[in-house]
Amino acid sequence: MGGVIEAHELRKHFGSRGKLVEAVRGVSFEVTKGEIFGFLGPNGAGKTTTLRMLTTLLPIDDGQARVAGLDVATAPARVRERIGYVSQLGGADMLATGRENLMLQGRLYGGERVEVASRVEQLLGLLDLASFADRQVKTYSGGQRRRLDIALGIVHEPEVLFLDEPTTGLDPQNRANLWEHVRALRDRGVTVFLTTHYLDEADALCDRVMIIDDGTIVAEGSPRELKRDIVGDSIVLRVDDDDGWLGRVEAVLANAPSVRSTVPGEDGQLRCYVDDGAVALPDLLRRIDAANLGLKAISLSEPTLDDVFLAKTGRSLRDGGEDGGS
Amino acid sequence: MKLVIDIRLLAWRRSLQLLRNPVWLFVSLTVPLLYLALFTPLLKDLPVTGGLGGNVLDEFLPGILALLAFTSGANAGFSTLFELQAGVVERFRVTPASRLALLLGPLVSGMTSMFIFDLVLLVVGIAFGFHVHVLGLLVLAVLLALFYLTMAAFSTAVALLTKEITGFAAIVNGINLPLMLLAGVLLPISLGPAWMGVLAHFNPLYYLVTASRTLALDSFSGNALWQAFAVLTPLCALSLAWATRVYRRAVA
Repeated sequence: MGGVIEAHELRKHFGSRGKLVEAVRGVSFEVTKGEIFGFLGPNGAGKTTTLRMLTTLLPIDDGQARVAGLDVATAPARVRERIGYVSQLGGADMLATGRENLMLQGRLYGGERVEVASRVEQLLGLLDLASFADRQVKTYSGGQRRRLDIALGIVHEPEVLFLDEPTTGLDPQNRANLWEHVRALRDRGVTVFLTTHYLDEADALCDRVMIIDDGTIVAEGSPRELKRDIVGDSIVLRVDDDDGWLGRVEAVLANAPSVRSTVPGEDGQLRCYVDDGAVALPDLLRRIDAANLGLKAISLSEPTLDDVFLAKTGRSLRDGGEDGGS
Repeated sequence: MKLVIDIRLLAWRRSLQLLRNPVWLFVSLTVPLLYLALFTPLLKDLPVTGGLGGNVLDEFLPGILALLAFTSGANAGFSTLFELQAGVVERFRVTPASRLALLLGPLVSGMTSMFIFDLVLLVVGIAFGFHVHVLGLLVLAVLLALFYLTMAAFSTAVALLTKEITGFAAIVNGINLPLMLLAGVLLPISLGPAWMGVLAHFNPLYYLVTASRTLALDSFSGNALWQAFAVLTPLCALSLAWATRVYRRAVA
Protein backbone atom coordinates (compact mmCIF):
# COMPACT_ATOMS: atom_id res chain seq x y z
CA MET A 1 0.00 0.00 0.00
CA GLY A 2 1.10 3.56 0.47
CA GLY A 3 -0.70 5.13 -2.45
CA VAL A 4 -1.05 8.87 -1.95
CA ILE A 5 -4.16 8.66 -4.11
CA GLU A 6 -6.24 5.50 -4.11
CA ALA A 7 -9.33 5.30 -6.23
CA HIS A 8 -11.57 2.30 -6.19
CA GLU A 9 -14.39 1.81 -8.69
CA LEU A 10 -15.15 5.51 -8.93
CA ARG A 11 -18.34 6.34 -10.74
CA LYS A 12 -20.09 9.53 -11.71
CA HIS A 13 -23.11 10.14 -13.83
CA PHE A 14 -24.87 13.31 -14.78
CA GLY A 15 -28.58 13.43 -15.33
CA SER A 16 -30.08 15.58 -17.99
CA ARG A 17 -33.78 15.45 -18.67
CA GLY A 18 -34.21 11.95 -17.41
CA LYS A 19 -31.28 10.59 -19.38
CA LEU A 20 -28.30 9.45 -17.37
CA VAL A 21 -24.90 10.09 -18.87
CA GLU A 22 -22.16 8.03 -17.30
CA ALA A 23 -19.09 10.22 -17.27
CA VAL A 24 -16.86 7.93 -15.18
CA ARG A 25 -17.56 4.21 -15.19
CA GLY A 26 -15.72 2.38 -12.44
CA VAL A 27 -12.23 3.83 -12.42
CA SER A 28 -9.60 2.32 -10.10
CA PHE A 29 -5.97 3.32 -9.72
CA GLU A 30 -3.24 4.15 -7.26
CA VAL A 31 -0.76 6.99 -7.33
CA THR A 32 2.55 6.53 -5.54
CA LYS A 33 4.12 9.23 -3.41
CA GLY A 34 6.51 11.49 -5.28
CA GLU A 35 5.57 10.65 -8.85
CA ILE A 36 4.11 12.67 -11.67
CA PHE A 37 1.01 10.78 -12.63
CA GLY A 38 -0.63 11.69 -15.90
CA PHE A 39 -4.25 11.16 -16.79
CA LEU A 40 -4.35 11.08 -20.59
CA GLY A 41 -7.43 11.00 -22.74
CA PRO A 42 -9.46 12.90 -25.29
CA ASN A 43 -11.74 15.75 -24.26
CA GLY A 44 -14.88 14.45 -22.64
CA ALA A 45 -13.26 11.16 -21.57
CA GLY A 46 -13.90 11.79 -17.88
CA LYS A 47 -10.53 13.19 -16.83
CA THR A 48 -11.71 16.41 -15.28
CA THR A 49 -14.73 14.74 -13.71
CA THR A 50 -12.45 12.24 -11.97
CA LEU A 51 -10.14 15.03 -10.89
CA ARG A 52 -13.03 17.02 -9.47
CA MET A 53 -14.20 14.04 -7.45
CA LEU A 54 -10.72 13.55 -6.02
CA THR A 55 -10.47 17.23 -5.08
CA THR A 56 -13.84 17.30 -3.20
CA LEU A 57 -15.43 19.56 -5.82
CA LEU A 58 -17.89 16.97 -7.03
CA PRO A 59 -19.74 14.38 -4.95
CA ILE A 60 -18.76 10.78 -5.68
CA ASP A 61 -21.73 8.71 -6.88
CA ASP A 62 -20.23 5.33 -6.19
CA GLY A 63 -16.87 3.87 -5.20
CA GLN A 64 -14.22 5.14 -2.80
CA ALA A 65 -11.34 7.57 -3.06
CA ARG A 66 -8.62 8.22 -0.53
CA VAL A 67 -6.26 11.14 -0.90
CA ALA A 68 -3.31 11.63 1.46
CA GLY A 69 -4.70 8.81 3.57
CA LEU A 70 -8.12 10.44 4.03
CA ASP A 71 -11.48 9.45 2.65
CA VAL A 72 -12.63 12.12 0.22
CA ALA A 73 -16.32 11.53 0.83
CA THR A 74 -16.25 11.56 4.64
CA ALA A 75 -13.43 14.03 5.37
CA PRO A 76 -13.50 16.57 2.54
CA ALA A 77 -12.40 19.46 4.75
CA ARG A 78 -9.25 17.64 5.89
CA VAL A 79 -8.49 16.49 2.35
CA ARG A 80 -8.61 20.14 1.22
CA GLU A 81 -5.91 21.05 3.73
CA ARG A 82 -3.52 18.55 2.18
CA ILE A 83 -4.08 19.02 -1.53
CA GLY A 84 -3.45 21.79 -3.99
CA TYR A 85 -5.59 22.19 -7.08
CA VAL A 86 -5.02 24.27 -10.19
CA SER A 87 -8.01 24.28 -12.53
CA GLN A 88 -7.83 24.87 -16.25
CA LEU A 89 -8.94 28.43 -15.64
CA GLY A 90 -6.48 29.07 -12.83
CA GLY A 91 -8.76 31.53 -11.11
CA ALA A 92 -6.35 34.20 -9.88
CA ASP A 93 -7.80 37.64 -9.17
CA MET A 94 -7.04 39.71 -12.23
CA LEU A 95 -7.28 43.02 -10.41
CA ALA A 96 -5.01 41.99 -7.56
CA THR A 97 -1.25 41.63 -7.77
CA GLY A 98 0.45 38.24 -7.80
CA ARG A 99 1.70 38.82 -4.28
CA GLU A 100 -1.77 39.80 -3.00
CA ASN A 101 -3.23 36.67 -4.57
CA LEU A 102 -0.64 34.48 -2.90
CA MET A 103 -1.00 36.19 0.48
CA LEU A 104 -4.78 35.73 0.48
CA GLN A 105 -4.51 32.10 -0.58
CA GLY A 106 -1.97 31.38 2.16
CA ARG A 107 -4.14 33.08 4.77
CA LEU A 108 -7.23 31.12 3.69
CA TYR A 109 -5.23 27.98 4.37
CA GLY A 110 -4.87 29.25 7.90
CA GLY A 111 -1.34 30.66 7.82
CA GLU A 112 -0.32 33.61 9.99
CA ARG A 113 0.52 36.78 8.11
CA VAL A 114 4.25 36.62 8.85
CA GLU A 115 4.73 32.98 7.94
CA VAL A 116 2.64 33.34 4.79
CA ALA A 117 4.72 36.35 3.76
CA SER A 118 7.95 34.39 3.98
CA ARG A 119 6.40 31.43 2.16
CA VAL A 120 5.23 33.77 -0.60
CA GLU A 121 8.73 35.19 -0.89
CA GLN A 122 10.04 31.65 -1.30
CA LEU A 123 7.42 30.81 -3.95
CA LEU A 124 8.15 33.95 -5.93
CA GLY A 125 11.72 32.74 -6.26
CA LEU A 126 10.82 29.11 -6.87
CA LEU A 127 8.51 29.87 -9.79
CA ASP A 128 10.37 32.90 -11.18
CA LEU A 129 7.61 35.34 -10.29
CA ALA A 130 9.58 37.89 -8.31
CA SER A 131 10.14 40.46 -11.03
CA PHE A 132 6.43 41.03 -11.63
CA ALA A 133 4.96 40.02 -8.27
CA ASP A 134 3.63 43.49 -7.55
CA ARG A 135 1.90 44.02 -10.87
CA GLN A 136 -1.80 43.31 -11.37
CA VAL A 137 -2.36 39.81 -12.72
CA LYS A 138 -4.25 41.13 -15.74
CA THR A 139 -0.92 42.40 -17.09
CA TYR A 140 0.72 38.94 -16.96
CA SER A 141 1.59 36.84 -20.00
CA GLY A 142 0.09 33.35 -20.35
CA GLY A 143 3.20 31.65 -19.02
CA GLN A 144 3.53 34.06 -16.09
CA ARG A 145 -0.10 33.58 -15.14
CA ARG A 146 0.21 29.81 -15.28
CA ARG A 147 3.21 29.86 -12.96
CA LEU A 148 1.26 32.06 -10.55
CA ASP A 149 -1.64 29.58 -10.70
CA ILE A 150 0.74 26.81 -9.70
CA ALA A 151 2.23 28.92 -6.93
CA LEU A 152 -1.35 29.47 -5.66
CA GLY A 153 -1.83 25.71 -5.66
CA ILE A 154 1.21 25.00 -3.51
CA VAL A 155 1.23 27.96 -1.14
CA HIS A 156 0.29 25.67 1.77
CA GLU A 157 2.86 23.00 0.86
CA PRO A 158 0.37 20.28 -0.06
CA GLU A 159 1.31 16.62 -0.29
CA VAL A 160 -0.53 16.26 -3.57
CA LEU A 161 -0.89 18.79 -6.36
CA PHE A 162 -3.69 18.36 -8.91
CA LEU A 163 -3.20 20.10 -12.24
CA ASP A 164 -6.00 20.17 -14.77
CA GLU A 165 -4.63 20.59 -18.31
CA PRO A 166 -1.73 22.70 -17.03
CA THR A 167 -0.22 23.72 -20.37
CA THR A 168 -3.30 24.24 -22.53
CA GLY A 169 -2.89 27.48 -24.43
CA LEU A 170 0.84 27.88 -23.76
CA ASP A 171 3.45 28.22 -26.48
CA PRO A 172 6.12 25.48 -26.75
CA GLN A 173 8.75 27.45 -24.88
CA ASN A 174 6.44 28.17 -21.95
CA ARG A 175 5.27 24.57 -21.91
CA ALA A 176 8.82 23.28 -21.61
CA ASN A 177 9.47 25.82 -18.89
CA LEU A 178 6.38 24.75 -16.98
CA TRP A 179 7.36 21.10 -17.26
CA GLU A 180 10.69 21.98 -15.64
CA HIS A 181 8.84 23.59 -12.74
CA VAL A 182 6.55 20.58 -12.33
CA ARG A 183 9.57 18.24 -12.30
CA ALA A 184 11.22 20.44 -9.71
CA LEU A 185 8.14 20.11 -7.52
CA ARG A 186 8.24 16.34 -7.86
CA ASP A 187 11.91 16.40 -6.88
CA ARG A 188 10.92 18.26 -3.72
CA GLY A 189 8.61 15.41 -2.79
CA VAL A 190 5.27 16.68 -4.06
CA THR A 191 3.08 14.09 -5.75
CA VAL A 192 1.66 15.55 -8.95
CA PHE A 193 -1.55 14.33 -10.55
CA LEU A 194 -2.24 15.99 -13.88
CA THR A 195 -4.68 15.61 -16.71
CA THR A 196 -3.70 16.25 -20.29
CA HIS A 197 -4.83 15.55 -23.80
CA TYR A 198 -1.33 16.20 -25.14
CA LEU A 199 0.52 13.01 -26.03
CA ASP A 200 3.95 14.60 -25.85
CA GLU A 201 3.19 16.05 -22.45
CA ALA A 202 2.21 12.69 -21.01
CA ASP A 203 5.27 11.13 -22.62
CA ALA A 204 7.86 13.69 -21.63
CA LEU A 205 6.62 14.76 -18.21
CA CYS A 206 4.87 11.85 -16.55
CA ASP A 207 6.47 9.02 -14.61
CA ARG A 208 3.32 7.03 -15.01
CA VAL A 209 0.36 7.44 -17.32
CA MET A 210 -3.19 6.24 -17.22
CA ILE A 211 -5.17 6.38 -20.42
CA ILE A 212 -8.90 6.95 -20.11
CA ASP A 213 -11.49 6.76 -22.83
CA ASP A 214 -15.23 7.14 -22.47
CA GLY A 215 -15.09 6.93 -18.69
CA THR A 216 -13.04 3.73 -18.58
CA ILE A 217 -9.33 3.15 -18.07
CA VAL A 218 -7.85 1.46 -21.11
CA ALA A 219 -4.17 1.28 -20.11
CA GLU A 220 -1.85 2.17 -17.26
CA GLY A 221 1.92 2.17 -16.80
CA SER A 222 5.02 4.20 -17.46
CA PRO A 223 5.08 5.68 -20.96
CA ARG A 224 7.96 3.31 -21.83
CA GLU A 225 6.14 0.22 -20.59
CA LEU A 226 2.96 1.18 -22.34
CA LYS A 227 4.67 1.69 -25.64
CA ARG A 228 6.83 -1.43 -25.34
CA ASP A 229 4.22 -3.81 -23.99
CA ILE A 230 1.16 -2.72 -25.87
CA VAL A 231 2.58 -1.60 -29.18
CA GLY A 232 6.23 -2.47 -29.54
CA ASP A 233 8.20 -0.77 -32.33
CA SER A 234 6.53 -0.13 -35.60
CA ILE A 235 7.94 -0.67 -39.06
CA VAL A 236 6.23 1.12 -41.89
CA LEU A 237 6.59 -0.36 -45.38
CA ARG A 238 5.42 1.08 -48.64
CA VAL A 239 4.87 -0.98 -51.74
CA ASP A 240 3.37 -0.40 -55.15
CA ASP A 241 -0.15 -1.56 -54.60
CA ASP A 242 -1.08 -1.62 -58.27
CA ASP A 243 -0.90 -5.40 -58.55
CA GLY A 244 -2.22 -6.24 -55.14
CA TRP A 245 1.31 -6.44 -53.75
CA LEU A 246 0.22 -5.02 -50.44
CA GLY A 247 -1.86 -8.10 -49.69
CA ARG A 248 0.99 -10.40 -50.64
CA VAL A 249 3.50 -8.53 -48.47
CA GLU A 250 1.07 -8.61 -45.60
CA ALA A 251 0.62 -12.37 -46.01
CA VAL A 252 4.38 -12.92 -45.96
CA LEU A 253 4.95 -10.76 -42.93
CA ALA A 254 2.04 -12.17 -40.97
CA ASN A 255 4.00 -15.46 -40.82
CA ALA A 256 7.10 -13.85 -39.36
CA PRO A 257 7.45 -14.72 -35.67
CA SER A 258 8.65 -11.21 -34.72
CA VAL A 259 5.54 -9.50 -36.08
CA ARG A 260 2.76 -8.95 -33.57
CA SER A 261 0.26 -7.42 -35.91
CA THR A 262 -0.02 -5.62 -39.18
CA VAL A 263 -2.27 -2.71 -40.02
CA PRO A 264 -2.66 -1.76 -43.70
CA GLY A 265 -2.96 1.96 -44.36
CA GLU A 266 -3.54 4.20 -47.35
CA ASP A 267 -1.19 4.67 -50.30
CA GLY A 268 0.22 1.18 -50.16
CA GLN A 269 1.36 1.63 -46.59
CA LEU A 270 1.67 -1.27 -44.22
CA ARG A 271 2.37 -0.77 -40.52
CA CYS A 272 3.89 -3.77 -38.68
CA TYR A 273 4.11 -3.82 -34.91
CA VAL A 274 7.13 -5.77 -33.69
CA ASP A 275 8.80 -6.41 -30.33
CA ASP A 276 12.15 -4.96 -31.21
CA GLY A 277 12.59 -3.13 -34.48
CA ALA A 278 16.35 -3.54 -34.72
CA VAL A 279 16.06 -7.32 -34.52
CA ALA A 280 12.95 -7.71 -36.65
CA LEU A 281 13.93 -5.47 -39.54
CA PRO A 282 16.63 -7.71 -41.17
CA ASP A 283 14.37 -10.74 -40.84
CA LEU A 284 11.47 -8.98 -42.50
CA LEU A 285 13.64 -7.78 -45.35
CA ARG A 286 14.94 -11.32 -45.93
CA ARG A 287 11.42 -12.69 -46.09
CA ILE A 288 10.25 -10.03 -48.53
CA ASP A 289 13.32 -10.64 -50.67
CA ALA A 290 12.79 -14.42 -50.62
CA ALA A 291 9.21 -13.93 -51.81
CA ASN A 292 10.45 -11.76 -54.67
CA LEU A 293 8.47 -8.75 -53.62
CA GLY A 294 9.72 -5.19 -53.95
CA LEU A 295 9.45 -2.23 -51.59
CA LYS A 296 9.23 1.48 -52.30
CA ALA A 297 10.18 2.60 -48.84
CA ILE A 298 10.74 1.28 -45.35
CA SER A 299 11.09 3.06 -42.04
CA LEU A 300 11.44 2.08 -38.44
CA SER A 301 9.66 4.27 -35.92
CA GLU A 302 9.44 4.21 -32.17
CA PRO A 303 5.88 3.98 -30.92
CA THR A 304 4.08 6.95 -29.43
CA LEU A 305 1.36 7.01 -26.81
CA ASP A 306 -1.00 7.65 -29.68
CA ASP A 307 -0.15 4.18 -30.99
CA VAL A 308 -1.08 2.86 -27.55
CA PHE A 309 -4.37 4.70 -27.66
CA LEU A 310 -4.97 3.49 -31.19
CA ALA A 311 -4.19 -0.10 -30.26
CA LYS A 312 -6.55 0.03 -27.28
CA THR A 313 -9.47 1.99 -28.66
CA GLY A 314 -9.19 1.71 -32.42
CA ARG A 315 -9.15 5.51 -32.66
CA SER A 316 -6.41 8.10 -32.74
CA LEU A 317 -6.19 10.65 -29.95
CA ARG A 318 -5.19 13.25 -32.50
CA ASP A 319 -8.64 13.06 -34.04
CA GLY A 320 -10.15 14.48 -30.84
CA GLY A 321 -11.56 17.99 -30.87
CA GLU A 322 -9.76 20.83 -29.20
CA ASP A 323 -12.71 22.25 -27.33
CA GLY A 324 -12.72 22.60 -23.56
CA GLY A 325 -12.34 19.28 -21.76
CA SER A 326 -14.67 17.89 -19.18
CA MET B 1 -11.75 32.52 14.94
CA LYS B 2 -11.11 31.08 11.48
CA LEU B 3 -14.59 31.94 10.19
CA VAL B 4 -14.28 35.59 11.14
CA ILE B 5 -10.73 35.84 9.76
CA ASP B 6 -11.82 34.26 6.47
CA ILE B 7 -14.82 36.57 6.13
CA ARG B 8 -12.59 39.57 6.79
CA LEU B 9 -9.97 38.41 4.26
CA LEU B 10 -12.54 37.76 1.55
CA ALA B 11 -14.43 40.99 2.27
CA TRP B 12 -11.25 43.01 2.07
CA ARG B 13 -10.31 41.30 -1.20
CA ARG B 14 -13.65 42.22 -2.76
CA SER B 15 -13.46 45.79 -1.48
CA LEU B 16 -10.00 46.23 -3.01
CA GLN B 17 -11.38 45.03 -6.34
CA LEU B 18 -14.20 47.55 -6.15
CA LEU B 19 -11.86 50.39 -5.24
CA ARG B 20 -9.71 49.49 -8.25
CA ASN B 21 -12.73 49.77 -10.49
CA PRO B 22 -13.47 53.51 -10.72
CA VAL B 23 -16.29 53.05 -13.24
CA TRP B 24 -18.22 50.90 -10.81
CA LEU B 25 -17.60 53.38 -8.01
CA PHE B 26 -18.84 56.29 -10.09
CA VAL B 27 -21.99 54.57 -11.39
CA SER B 28 -22.91 53.17 -7.98
CA LEU B 29 -22.76 56.63 -6.48
CA THR B 30 -24.61 58.44 -9.21
CA VAL B 31 -27.63 56.13 -9.51
CA PRO B 32 -29.14 56.84 -6.08
CA LEU B 33 -28.26 60.51 -6.40
CA LEU B 34 -30.08 60.62 -9.73
CA TYR B 35 -33.18 59.24 -8.04
CA LEU B 36 -32.98 62.04 -5.53
CA ALA B 37 -32.30 64.70 -8.10
CA LEU B 38 -34.63 63.62 -10.88
CA PHE B 39 -37.48 61.90 -9.07
CA THR B 40 -38.08 63.91 -5.92
CA PRO B 41 -39.15 67.01 -7.87
CA LEU B 42 -41.95 64.97 -9.49
CA LEU B 43 -43.43 64.22 -6.09
CA LYS B 44 -43.62 67.83 -5.02
CA ASP B 45 -47.18 68.44 -6.09
CA LEU B 46 -48.68 65.03 -5.46
CA PRO B 47 -51.35 65.04 -2.77
CA VAL B 48 -50.07 61.77 -1.22
CA THR B 49 -47.47 63.41 0.94
CA GLY B 50 -50.16 65.07 2.99
CA GLY B 51 -49.92 64.48 6.72
CA LEU B 52 -46.15 64.42 6.64
CA GLY B 53 -45.71 68.09 6.99
CA GLY B 54 -45.30 68.41 3.29
CA ASN B 55 -41.62 67.38 3.25
CA VAL B 56 -41.26 65.13 0.22
CA LEU B 57 -37.78 64.01 1.16
CA ASP B 58 -38.87 62.65 4.54
CA GLU B 59 -41.27 60.41 2.69
CA PHE B 60 -39.09 59.55 -0.27
CA LEU B 61 -35.51 59.20 0.99
CA PRO B 62 -36.22 56.13 3.19
CA GLY B 63 -37.70 54.46 0.13
CA ILE B 64 -34.52 55.16 -1.81
CA LEU B 65 -32.45 53.59 0.98
CA ALA B 66 -34.66 50.50 0.81
CA LEU B 67 -34.39 50.45 -2.96
CA LEU B 68 -30.60 50.64 -2.74
CA ALA B 69 -30.54 47.65 -0.37
CA PHE B 70 -32.77 45.80 -2.79
CA THR B 71 -30.85 46.50 -5.99
CA SER B 72 -27.35 46.11 -4.58
CA GLY B 73 -28.45 42.83 -3.01
CA ALA B 74 -30.07 41.57 -6.20
CA ASN B 75 -26.96 42.45 -8.21
CA ALA B 76 -24.56 40.65 -5.88
CA GLY B 77 -24.79 37.54 -8.04
CA PHE B 78 -23.19 39.25 -11.01
CA SER B 79 -19.74 39.19 -9.41
CA THR B 80 -20.30 35.60 -8.34
CA LEU B 81 -21.18 34.70 -11.90
CA PHE B 82 -18.07 36.40 -13.20
CA GLU B 83 -15.85 34.71 -10.63
CA LEU B 84 -17.47 31.38 -11.31
CA GLN B 85 -16.59 31.65 -14.98
CA ALA B 86 -13.08 32.87 -14.19
CA GLY B 87 -12.43 29.87 -11.92
CA VAL B 88 -12.10 31.99 -8.78
CA VAL B 89 -15.03 30.32 -7.02
CA GLU B 90 -13.53 26.91 -7.68
CA ARG B 91 -10.11 27.97 -6.45
CA PHE B 92 -11.64 29.09 -3.15
CA ARG B 93 -13.81 26.02 -2.87
CA VAL B 94 -10.78 23.72 -2.64
CA THR B 95 -9.32 25.74 0.22
CA PRO B 96 -10.36 24.84 3.78
CA ALA B 97 -12.14 28.20 4.10
CA SER B 98 -15.66 27.74 5.46
CA ARG B 99 -18.40 27.81 2.85
CA LEU B 100 -20.26 30.37 4.94
CA ALA B 101 -17.17 32.59 4.77
CA LEU B 102 -17.00 32.21 0.98
CA LEU B 103 -20.58 33.44 0.85
CA LEU B 104 -20.39 36.14 3.52
CA GLY B 105 -17.03 37.68 2.60
CA PRO B 106 -18.27 39.40 -0.56
CA LEU B 107 -21.62 40.18 1.09
CA VAL B 108 -19.96 41.99 3.99
CA SER B 109 -18.01 44.03 1.47
CA GLY B 110 -21.14 44.77 -0.55
CA MET B 111 -23.03 45.74 2.58
CA THR B 112 -20.27 48.10 3.63
CA SER B 113 -20.31 49.89 0.31
CA MET B 114 -24.11 50.06 0.49
CA PHE B 115 -23.90 51.81 3.85
CA ILE B 116 -21.31 54.22 2.50
CA PHE B 117 -23.66 55.11 -0.36
CA ASP B 118 -26.50 55.42 2.18
CA LEU B 119 -24.42 57.94 4.10
CA VAL B 120 -23.75 59.96 0.97
CA LEU B 121 -27.47 59.96 0.22
CA LEU B 122 -28.28 61.09 3.74
CA VAL B 123 -25.77 63.90 3.63
CA VAL B 124 -27.16 65.12 0.31
CA GLY B 125 -30.71 64.64 1.62
CA ILE B 126 -29.98 66.68 4.73
CA ALA B 127 -28.69 69.48 2.56
CA PHE B 128 -32.10 69.53 0.86
CA GLY B 129 -34.08 69.45 4.06
CA PHE B 130 -34.33 65.83 5.17
CA HIS B 131 -35.00 65.57 8.90
CA VAL B 132 -32.59 63.21 10.66
CA HIS B 133 -33.75 61.08 13.56
CA VAL B 134 -30.69 59.19 14.70
CA LEU B 135 -32.29 56.35 16.65
CA GLY B 136 -34.78 55.62 13.88
CA LEU B 137 -32.02 55.55 11.30
CA LEU B 138 -29.92 53.16 13.40
CA VAL B 139 -32.80 50.69 13.64
CA LEU B 140 -33.40 51.19 9.92
CA ALA B 141 -29.75 50.28 9.28
CA VAL B 142 -30.36 46.89 10.91
CA LEU B 143 -33.37 46.29 8.67
CA LEU B 144 -31.44 47.38 5.59
CA ALA B 145 -28.63 44.98 6.48
CA LEU B 146 -31.10 42.12 6.94
CA PHE B 147 -32.72 42.85 3.63
CA TYR B 148 -29.46 43.28 1.76
CA LEU B 149 -28.16 39.95 3.07
CA THR B 150 -31.40 38.20 2.12
CA MET B 151 -31.31 39.48 -1.43
CA ALA B 152 -27.55 39.11 -1.92
CA ALA B 153 -27.45 35.53 -0.63
CA PHE B 154 -30.41 34.67 -2.85
CA SER B 155 -28.78 36.30 -5.84
CA THR B 156 -25.47 34.52 -5.18
CA ALA B 157 -27.21 31.16 -4.94
CA VAL B 158 -29.11 31.78 -8.18
CA ALA B 159 -25.81 32.69 -9.88
CA LEU B 160 -24.17 29.48 -8.63
CA LEU B 161 -27.09 27.40 -9.83
CA THR B 162 -27.69 29.00 -13.23
CA LYS B 163 -23.93 29.37 -13.92
CA GLU B 164 -24.46 31.67 -16.87
CA ILE B 165 -25.67 35.18 -17.43
CA THR B 166 -28.87 34.66 -19.42
CA GLY B 167 -30.59 32.42 -16.90
CA PHE B 168 -29.38 34.48 -14.01
CA ALA B 169 -30.42 37.81 -15.49
CA ALA B 170 -33.83 36.43 -16.44
CA ILE B 171 -34.54 35.30 -12.88
CA VAL B 172 -33.20 38.40 -11.16
CA ASN B 173 -34.89 40.84 -13.53
CA GLY B 174 -38.04 38.74 -13.42
CA ILE B 175 -38.42 39.25 -9.69
CA ASN B 176 -37.04 42.78 -9.63
CA LEU B 177 -39.91 44.58 -11.28
CA PRO B 178 -42.93 43.06 -9.49
CA LEU B 179 -41.22 43.33 -6.11
CA MET B 180 -40.36 46.97 -6.75
CA LEU B 181 -43.81 47.95 -8.03
CA LEU B 182 -45.56 46.11 -5.22
CA ALA B 183 -43.52 47.71 -2.47
CA GLY B 184 -44.44 51.35 -2.77
CA VAL B 185 -40.83 52.40 -3.13
CA LEU B 186 -41.48 55.24 -5.48
CA LEU B 187 -45.15 55.89 -4.78
CA PRO B 188 -47.17 54.63 -1.82
CA ILE B 189 -49.11 51.45 -2.50
CA SER B 190 -52.16 53.06 -0.94
CA LEU B 191 -52.63 54.97 -4.18
CA GLY B 192 -53.61 51.74 -5.91
CA PRO B 193 -56.67 49.52 -5.64
CA ALA B 194 -57.19 47.24 -2.64
CA TRP B 195 -55.93 44.06 -4.33
CA MET B 196 -52.53 45.65 -4.77
CA GLY B 197 -52.40 46.25 -1.04
CA VAL B 198 -53.19 42.60 -0.47
CA LEU B 199 -50.51 41.41 -2.88
CA ALA B 200 -47.99 43.76 -1.31
CA HIS B 201 -48.23 41.82 1.92
CA PHE B 202 -46.54 38.89 0.18
CA ASN B 203 -43.63 41.10 -0.77
CA PRO B 204 -40.77 41.35 1.77
CA LEU B 205 -39.63 44.64 0.25
CA TYR B 206 -43.00 46.15 1.15
CA TYR B 207 -42.35 45.57 4.86
CA LEU B 208 -38.92 47.17 4.60
CA VAL B 209 -40.24 50.20 2.77
CA THR B 210 -43.16 50.68 5.16
CA ALA B 211 -40.95 50.34 8.21
CA SER B 212 -38.33 52.66 6.74
CA ARG B 213 -40.92 55.42 6.39
CA THR B 214 -42.02 55.24 10.00
CA LEU B 215 -38.44 54.92 11.24
CA ALA B 216 -37.34 57.94 9.29
CA LEU B 217 -39.90 59.86 11.31
CA ASP B 218 -38.48 58.31 14.48
CA SER B 219 -41.77 56.62 15.16
CA PHE B 220 -41.59 53.24 16.87
CA SER B 221 -45.31 52.79 17.30
CA GLY B 222 -47.64 50.96 14.96
CA ASN B 223 -47.28 47.57 13.38
CA ALA B 224 -44.84 48.32 10.60
CA LEU B 225 -41.68 47.88 12.66
CA TRP B 226 -42.32 44.57 14.37
CA GLN B 227 -43.85 43.19 11.20
CA ALA B 228 -40.72 44.06 9.26
CA PHE B 229 -38.48 42.29 11.76
CA ALA B 230 -40.85 39.32 11.95
CA VAL B 231 -40.75 38.90 8.18
CA LEU B 232 -37.16 39.82 7.38
CA THR B 233 -35.26 38.01 10.14
CA PRO B 234 -36.37 34.45 9.31
CA LEU B 235 -36.21 35.22 5.60
CA CYS B 236 -32.61 36.33 5.93
CA ALA B 237 -31.66 33.20 7.90
CA LEU B 238 -33.37 31.04 5.30
CA SER B 239 -31.66 32.75 2.39
CA LEU B 240 -28.20 32.52 3.99
CA ALA B 241 -28.70 28.86 4.85
CA TRP B 242 -29.82 28.04 1.34
CA ALA B 243 -26.94 29.89 -0.32
CA THR B 244 -24.38 28.23 1.96
CA ARG B 245 -25.86 24.88 1.05
CA VAL B 246 -25.61 25.69 -2.65
CA TYR B 247 -21.97 26.69 -2.14
CA ARG B 248 -21.30 23.36 -0.50
CA ARG B 249 -23.08 21.15 -3.00
CA ALA B 250 -23.45 22.48 -6.51
CA VAL B 251 -21.03 24.01 -8.98
CA ALA B 252 -20.44 21.14 -11.38
